[in-house]
Amino acid sequence: MSAPASGLLLLRRAGGVWGVASAAVVGLAARGGGYRISVGESALAADEILGVVDGLRVHPPAPVLRRFWPEALDGLAVHGRMPVVVVDPRCPPAALRFNEGEGVNEGRE
Amino acid sequence: MTEPLETAERTRREGTHLLVRAGEYACALPLAAVRRVVRAVTVHPLPGAAGELEGLAEFGGEPLPVLNLGRLVNSPPGANPAFPVTVVVWVGPAGAREMVGLNADAALEVVHVADESLVAGDGGLLLGEAPVGGEVVRVLNLEALGREA
Repeated sequence: MSAPASGLLLLRRAGGVWGVASAAVVGLAARGGGYRISVGESALAADEILGVVDGLRVHPPAPVLRRFWPEALDGLAVHGRMPVVVVDPRCPPAALRFNEGEGVNEGRE
Repeated sequence: MTEPLETAERTRREGTHLLVRAGEYACALPLAAVRRVVRAVTVHPLPGAAGELEGLAEFGGEPLPVLNLGRLVNSPPGANPAFPVTVVVWVGPAGAREMVGLNADAALEVVHVADESLVAGDGGLLLGEAPVGGEVVRVLNLEALGREA
């Protein structure tokens, strides 16, 4: 089962493409060659902003993924032949968290 | 009169496996669970994932978790593979199966593994071991792979 998602902000980080509900984004600023994305009380880091897309089919996270990757996520999608991890903006994966004390390039490959 | 023949045919079908090389081990995957064998797909890593999970790929327009078969079966690494493959398989129980990619060193051949030749499984992914063509192969239960840990 999958559902079309409206308004996902797609970003590149740590070698992958990630999606976050654009409705949850309250601010976006360039920082140190990357971006700081404000989502509620936390902030995400991005190497590149790819844009906002509508209608991506988001698949629920598979048990295999949960078994081998301990992060919380909302689901998986594909955009332009790239797999997209759709994250829960309230509980982003460690690789996406913006560390206010360091440069945004920390998570780059 | 046809029932014993149908039973025999079903038994044979269920015993048919795709033999793949993963490191130093040969593993037998139930052929009914194999959807496709393709040249190793491009994988995008997931930071913080366990070593068994290589990352995510795209397959047929769908997101595909890709696992390292050698790591799953704790195989010592083999020589660098000449033609690495991704075996796209169904895992999990019939009512909730999911598509997963298994990266392996090579796809070898289709073989028949008789139930009575199986010994010593672990009750999980490893259904048992069986002699095939002069080599002991690890016969895998892919349904177990899709269960929650």
